[in-house]
Amino acid sequence: MRTMWRRFAAILRGDRLDRDLNDEIQVHLAMQEEEFRRQGMDAAAARNAARREFGSVARTQELYRERRGVPWLESAVKDVQYALRGLRRNPGFTAAAVLSLALGIGANTAIFSMFHALMLNMLPVSRPAELVTMYRTGGWGRGYSSYVLYLEVARRTDLFHGVIARSSVDKTPFRAGPGDRPETAQRELVSGNYFAVLGVAPAIGRLFTAEDNRTPHAHPLAVLSYDFWQRRFAADPGVLGRTLVVDAQPLTVIGVAGRGFRGVEVDRHPDLWAPAMMHQGDIMEPGMYWVWIMGRRRPEVSRPQIQAAMDVLLKQHLAGIYGAHPNAAFKKTAMAQQIEVREGAAGLSMLREQFGGPLAVLMAAVGLVLLAACANVANLLLARGAARRKEIAVRLSLGASRGRLVRQALTESLLLAGAGCILGVGFAFWGERGILQFLPASAGDPFVAAPNTAVLAFTLVISLVSAVLFGLAPAIRSTSVDPACCIKSGGAQTGARQAGLRKALVVAQVAFSVMLVALAGLFGHSLSALRARDLGFRNRNVMAFSLDFPRAWKAGETRAARDRLVARLEALPGVSLVSYGAPGPFLGGFSNMSMRIPGSELTAKEPVWVSVQEVAPRYFEILGSAPLAGREIDRSDTPESRKVAVVNEAFVRKMLAGDPHPLERVVSFQEGKVDPTFIVGVVRDIPHTGLREKVVPTVYVPAARMTGWWGAILVRSALPRDEMARAIRAEVARLGPDVTSSDPRTLGQRIDESIFQDRLLATVGGFFGGLALLLAAIGLYGVVAYGMARRGREIGIRIALGARRGIVLRMVLGDALALVAVGLAIGLPASLAAARTVSKVLFGVRPADPLTFITTACALLAVGLVAALLPARRAASIQPVQVLRQE
Amino acid sequence: MSTGDTKSDILQGTLDLMVLRTLGTMGPQHGFGLAKRIQQISGGALDLNQGTLYPALLRLEQRGWIRSRWGTSDAHRRAKFYEITRKGRRQVEKESEDWARTVAIMDRFVRLAEQD
Repeated sequence: MRTMWRRFAAILRGDRLDRDLNDEIQVHLAMQEEEFRRQGMDAAAARNAARREFGSVARTQELYRERRGVPWLESAVKDVQYALRGLRRNPGFTAAAVLSLALGIGANTAIFSMFHALMLNMLPVSRPAELVTMYRTGGWGRGYSSYVLYLEVARRTDLFHGVIARSSVDKTPFRAGPGDRPETAQRELVSGNYFAVLGVAPAIGRLFTAEDNRTPHAHPLAVLSYDFWQRRFAADPGVLGRTLVVDAQPLTVIGVAGRGFRGVEVDRHPDLWAPAMMHQGDIMEPGMYWVWIMGRRRPEVSRPQIQAAMDVLLKQHLAGIYGAHPNAAFKKTAMAQQIEVREGAAGLSMLREQFGGPLAVLMAAVGLVLLAACANVANLLLARGAARRKEIAVRLSLGASRGRLVRQALTESLLLAGAGCILGVGFAFWGERGILQFLPASAGDPFVAAPNTAVLAFTLVISLVSAVLFGLAPAIRSTSVDPACCIKSGGAQTGARQAGLRKALVVAQVAFSVMLVALAGLFGHSLSALRARDLGFRNRNVMAFSLDFPRAWKAGETRAARDRLVARLEALPGVSLVSYGAPGPFLGGFSNMSMRIPGSELTAKEPVWVSVQEVAPRYFEILGSAPLAGREIDRSDTPESRKVAVVNEAFVRKMLAGDPHPLERVVSFQEGKVDPTFIVGVVRDIPHTGLREKVVPTVYVPAARMTGWWGAILVRSALPRDEMARAIRAEVARLGPDVTSSDPRTLGQRIDESIFQDRLLATVGGFFGGLALLLAAIGLYGVVAYGMARRGREIGIRIALGARRGIVLRMVLGDALALVAVGLAIGLPASLAAARTVSKVLFGVRPADPLTFITTACALLAVGLVAALLPARRAASIQPVQVLRQE
Repeated sequence: MSTGDTKSDILQGTLDLMVLRTLGTMGPQHGFGLAKRIQQISGGALDLNQGTLYPALLRLEQRGWIRSRWGTSDAHRRAKFYEITRKGRRQVEKESEDWARTVAIMDRFVRLAEQD
């Protein structure tokens, strides 16, 4: 190893070492000469004698240099030069090989870099493997828990070294100082031990301690993230002690967190942290789920042990709070909560829940694409190897060792893979950006665009592996030539074994393609099933946005501001209608209430939960969904008038047992006393919570009865989307600097976003399926054309002996289709198995959907037919005379 | 320059041992001194092309058995001096043993031939 290193170093210092040796030889000669002169020789004789004693200076230098250098490196350089010459001579081959490799490698890099960021990347904290997160399920919402539950978990020091709580990362109104211009910042509320438990050090100043999170609303402090400090404050250390205004609270900056720490959530990165006690609601309210609990387990405690302990802890906790709750339905739902103790090393991510599955599917799919690409390149290499058999035979008979020839062939493979790798990284960058387009804004920003050593290493490894994969077999096969035989026959004769290998490769390609095409077909089907779903309303161009007022505003103020906004929007030219509702359609919010239905078996024992929407007049008119019966909420429904509700079809179906006269029914939202709400209309089912979701029984009640304000404003207009969004933003800004709104988007856009996984899978899957089909077609064409070249003489003789051209055509096509059939026989069962693994992401189509699989088989047969037709027709038009004359 | 039958070519690999041994007993030497010394010890019986010494020295240095540095000779001439390393000394011991064993074996064969 040391020797090797010295030799390498010597190459880099070649000139200096040459001079060194020369000096040394000159010294040697001079000394010898001097000695001879002392013995009495004259000057000239002494010089000659010294030279004689030394021997050839040139020979010494040459030996020395040879010894100094690295022979195999020099031969490697020669191999590279040889391979480059070969590749340049065959630009078509080179382009096809590099391009298919680049697509395969690029696809893998793109998907892996996302997979890595979302699923594998460890948090930059100390000993991340000890972290566990408490993911709450059941009851209401998911993931987040209440602060009182956190306090109970944190008491378990027998299980944890420390337990932290953190809120979601929220976009919050922000000013760099009182009176400065309004901006927004990503804020995360955290428990006092947050940084200490994670093991994050400050870059400057200090971080929170338990002392900074004792009393509600009494710790107006902030810690900035390193990135935010750099970006917003130009890394000014003077930021310490400065007072920022965050969500209308003045907070004093006490420190900046260490570089590289971006919080524990993968999807969103906080700009600043504030103590959890600065939460403006009632922190200790057990029904407020706003903190995510994360713990550092003691090394001797395992995750299953913690899980068992949490099950007991939660049960006791819930019994203490809800055990005596009067509303049985509420109690049942509340008690159904559970905590899932999960690994926390890779951070928290809501996106992982939705996107992890599809990403894993894509990871497998791109693996197949790379395999198909490798098979394709191997096939091309074999074809070229066959064309170069004579050259190889000559070189073998001239004394080249077979090992050397294999090494040369592998050098060429490595060059191809290297070029594919470089081009692939470019494709990956472009592909990743394309994929990110599919992510809705609500997904956050989990994929930090930065070169990543893990991803780079992955790309290099797959490039190397593919080089060996596609290069080794052809290299060995094409150098197994019997020189004598080959040269004698002029290189025309080639082994049947080689043809067999090529056929096997094509069969493999077909099988890979079948899997990709079948999956793409299923995803396409699934997407079109989603798209074809009845939305229950017509106007997809209605623009919707949520509207939030500062917490300090009183209910009356918010109502007045909302009404002012509605009036101003209605007055805009081009706007035909404005309405609002809470939570509003496709905005991700939900609101449930329990109710009893007089005369229903369902609610005889305990109340039921239904989804509730508070809507303004003309809500359904704006959506373009006329009531099926009765009327919708209108201006006559005031807080003073009798209580009314509009229900959807699902409600009638499930809650009223399909009652043909729903308008005569009443419901009651009050427990313990009769407070009737009259059903005055039935509207169509609208999948408010997302296209993939089942429509749940929903009750629409007048928004006029809302006490405060929350929800979304709906605007119908004839204006172009961007123009309307601009106008809305301007009107929101007029309400005051601290009023915020979500990005105005049309319902169509929001629906598309709600099925982003499906659109992504169908698009990307379709692209890869098409790619695999193309590669398979190229491979098949190559094999058939090559077979024709080999069998030209045989066919010529057959035709000469009277075989009709139709028969020849059928024979050639039959051979090709037989290959496709074998590929199908392998690929179809494999894709059925693969389809079963993706059944969770499919909608409205079974994994074994016969139509998809029949279409896939037909598509491959058609592609096979087209790919084989060209060489087959050439074969059928062979003139026997010409073929025989060539001999 | 004919030197008669008494001079013989160096056996492959034995030059290494000669160099190491010489450096081991004499301390740091420059190339010319080393060549002269080897010829002296062999009693002039060795047909050493002095030039072949240098690739051998390089090989030994690459293996870490000797090291070199430029210095000044007795005659105040700048020259490159070679010196044996600790690793080199261990190698000498090992090779000396090997050599003794080889010689013993060869000796037995030669005697056998004489007895016949």
